[in-house]
Amino acid sequence: MTTEELEQLLAQQPIALLHRLARGRVQRHFRAGKRRLIEVLLRHSAENRAGFESDLMILIGEKPARPAPAPAPLHAPTARKPKPSGAPRRPGQRPAEPESQELGIPLSTWLEGLGVPSSSQPFIPDAWQEAAIAKLRESDVVVSVPTGSGKTYVAVEAARRAIAENRTVIYTSPLKALSNTKYTEFSKIFGADQVGILTGDRRENGQAPLLIMTTEILRNLFYDAGGGEIDVRLDTLGLVILDESQYIADPERGVVWEETIIFCPSQAKLLLLSASIGNPHDIADWLTSIRQTPCHLIKHSTRTVPLRAGYLHPNGKLSPLFRTAGIPHGHPSHLHPEAKRLFEQYEDETQPSGRRR
Amino acid sequence: MPPSIHPVDLIVALREKHLTPAIVFLTSRRACDEAMQAFDHSHIVLPPVRQEAIAAVLEKVIAQYPSIAEHPLIPIVQRIGVAAHHAGHLPSWKIAVEELMRHGCLDAVFATTTLAAGVDFPARTVIITQSSIRKSRDFMDLTIGEVQQIAGRAGRRGKDLVGFAIVTPSPYIDLTVLTKGFTGHPEAINSQFVISYPMVLNLLKAHPLDQIQPILAKSFAQFQLNQRAEVLERKLDDLRVQMDPFGPRVCTDWITEWQTFDQVRRQKSHRVPIKKFESPEIAARFHFLTPGRIVAFGRSRGVVLRQYRSKGQKSPMITALRQGGGITESPAATVTEISDRILDCVDAPIYPWCTPESVEDLLHNLDELPTKLPELPILVPKDNEPIPDAIVQTLGDFACPACPSRAACQSDYPLASKLRQEQHRHVKSIQALRTSLWHRFQEKIDVLQQFGYLTPASRLTDDGEWARLIRIDHSLLITELLRADAFNGADPAMLAAVMSSISNDDDRPGSFPRVSSGLASLLGQVRKLAASLSPHEEPPLLRADIAAVTERWIGDPTLTWIGLCKSTSMAEGDIYRLLARTLEFLSQLHTLKGTHPGLADTASRAIATLRRGVLEELP
Ligand SMILES: Nc1ncnc2c1ncn2[C@@H]1O[C@H](COP(=O)(O)OP(=O)(O)OP(=O)(O)O)[C@@H](O)[C@H]1O
Ligand SMILES: [Mg+2]
Repeated sequence: MTTEELEQLLAQQPIALLHRLARGRVQRHFRAGKRRLIEVLLRHSAENRAGFESDLMILIGEKPARPAPAPAPLHAPTARKPKPSGAPRRPGQRPAEPESQELGIPLSTWLEGLGVPSSSQPFIPDAWQEAAIAKLRESDVVVSVPTGSGKTYVAVEAARRAIAENRTVIYTSPLKALSNTKYTEFSKIFGADQVGILTGDRRENGQAPLLIMTTEILRNLFYDAGGGEIDVRLDTLGLVILDESQYIADPERGVVWEETIIFCPSQAKLLLLSASIGNPHDIADWLTSIRQTPCHLIKHSTRTVPLRAGYLHPNGKLSPLFRTAGIPHGHPSHLHPEAKRLFEQYEDETQPSGRRR
Repeated sequence: MPPSIHPVDLIVALREKHLTPAIVFLTSRRACDEAMQAFDHSHIVLPPVRQEAIAAVLEKVIAQYPSIAEHPLIPIVQRIGVAAHHAGHLPSWKIAVEELMRHGCLDAVFATTTLAAGVDFPARTVIITQSSIRKSRDFMDLTIGEVQQIAGRAGRRGKDLVGFAIVTPSPYIDLTVLTKGFTGHPEAINSQFVISYPMVLNLLKAHPLDQIQPILAKSFAQFQLNQRAEVLERKLDDLRVQMDPFGPRVCTDWITEWQTFDQVRRQKSHRVPIKKFESPEIAARFHFLTPGRIVAFGRSRGVVLRQYRSKGQKSPMITALRQGGGITESPAATVTEISDRILDCVDAPIYPWCTPESVEDLLHNLDELPTKLPELPILVPKDNEPIPDAIVQTLGDFACPACPSRAACQSDYPLASKLRQEQHRHVKSIQALRTSLWHRFQEKIDVLQQFGYLTPASRLTDDGEWARLIRIDHSLLITELLRADAFNGADPAMLAAVMSSISNDDDRPGSFPRVSSGLASLLGQVRKLAASLSPHEEPPLLRADIAAVTERWIGDPTLTWIGLCKSTSMAEGDIYRLLARTLEFLSQLHTLKGTHPGLADTASRAIATLRRGVLEELP
């Protein structure tokens, strides 16, 4: 749309619509008359032309649906296409039809590769796992990698080394359930006598070199140590592993992770294991700024087992979700034409009862 | 077409395409339970070998956790190879399902998204049926990080070459949230540092007050605040450069000087009649009397056609089109109501100030209007602050009119003062960012001093010494209850019951056993105290029905788990969690044995009775 066209279009609109458009854009717009309003709106639109135009289109689009009851019903039953707005779909995106012409991959290709790897493969640690374990010798380490990458291996190997050096290792998780799973898992790996678990009122094998607890319990131990009552052997503490440390952003409990890290004795190395987050370097830089040695960051976002996204229609029909077999990172709109068609059909059928919001 | 796929059809489709095992994420526990019921009479049974494999794994888990031996879901799990896993189940049951999944015995597990974080529970396929989850009583769209955490469960290392995340629509789905989640970069996470009373007491136990600020400065919260402050500081640097040409002139602070001079000058010229006749209210309202606005004059309505000031008196006037077609000129003061409604009108430069067609339209629209219109809220500004007398008196002292840099000051002033305002704003924000944590800490100190847990010098008092051992939510309420001797003479069941009503934050209704009268009156006392503490600490729900569940469990040591579950509509998993939390609270009371031996003893007796049956199975 050229500026002239836009100006013309604005001039054709009733003033009430212009006021609605001006809301949040122009200060004291209700004082302005129509001509003045168009002028200011045009000036303002220069900042974000696309956003402005799309809002305008939405307002124009919903106008007939609102008060004018007169001629509308004549057209309503025939035209199914222009859906009543309310669904969060931008009319601005509507003209991008030609993209659906582009063919997506066939379902058979999408399903290709499904299967089980040959079982004879020996376990070879990934380079990032090796790097994390090596770096832990001299510094704290933050690991931020996708779910299921193998963070536990790093924790286990680092713990093994610390135990061999006669140091105590503490492993914390945010959930009691996860602590219990790890207790079983680690007991199998290291032997039951090497692993203990601490809860609020119980202590099983509290003298073991590898102790499992929730992060709150560890924070309390650090409180007690600060207050003078040493509880566990904090002076021999060599390694603190904080699993699922993205919990630091939990609104209620996040502060406990911060306290634990702040109070962690300097001779103990910190190993933070976290799922993919947007700013792992912030966490690493923070640790560097408060701990004695610079922190090392290990991060990557490629999944070891590739992921494919699909769409399953309630009638049992399966389609790839995107045009490519893999996930098209950065291109949420590259939907597979079949998935797109099926989903639009679904929305049409469930429209009236469907939407909350 | 059903709004979402039937569970049996789903499993058939997944099996056919070899997409099992799968985790099916559903919106609620209820949805998971209903999905399981759908298999009641289903014929899609597993071959005997697989059924036996499931039985074998279950047998092992049952040996360790006898409480699940009679679990009602076992027959379906064994016959069909599907299970449900959600917060309404006992931990031991969830362990059994996880174990079955790890052994590859199941084709599908119906789960809520609580499973997404932290539980070690992979599968070949993940089915997503929703794009939002319930977070503290509100439905929120899934974040990119959450979508990836959920989808990430698909594809087991060493067991799958690829993983599949499949969306199947339900009425609660917004596809764009999910496609953005799949393809996007996870959000940055932010610190959620909250300063609690136990934190303050424990820090002050270990460190003198003057060391606290450096400790708070070590937080991730402060790290992130500093990042923001640094951005502002860079902006400040830029501003400093831009301000360079506006350095000292004839007077060092010429900006302030000019501002004052200019303001005084304007005030003087403003002292024309208008000011005298016009109340600030009318001045404020006059701005809104623009063409098209609907107004009322007493009982009759009109549309504003134009506004102007009268020739002689300069008083505010409007021309209005009245109902019935009259066009009147009236003082703005006669308008009794200004509505929040504007009609279309195409203005014209001469009487009647809009096009003839507009007049027609307006008249028609006026008649169509509802009798009640929303009124426009108008803020009446405080009268412009008068310049202090002192300044007015020194008006003659201004050097500006005769100053050689007058022209420069006059032309530079708007930009220079804008830049300087920005500077001040940034300096203030930076200061706030650097000190906000410390201020929040001091606020808590104030409260603790007021209640006598800290001395005026911020050392721990005797009460502070033991109070710092209570490190759970609602710590202030609990320590105040102890100081009020509220639990004197309370038996273990009552103590535990009160603790569980303090710990519980679930407001879902249900049916529950009755409370004893002793407990009811104790809870009344607790509620009163909690309400009086509400300026300093959010009161807990303090539900009596919840307390009654715990009272029964501890009051009657012969009561079985099944018996307890039958006495309430609460789900097993919820009862378990309630009692586990209560245990945690009681064990904190138990640490007070030095100062409150009686209470610690009651707490430890409560713990001993509480930990039986199911509650003894896990550490
Ligand atoms: N180098 C490797 N080669 C092959 N398999 C591996 C390797 N490292 C780990 N695994 C396997 O990958 C699976 C997932 O590992 P793990 O549970 O440690 O993931 P995670 O990163 O902790 O994921 P989550 O975010 O779910 O906690 C395990 O079964 C593990 O044995
Ligand atoms: Mg893990």
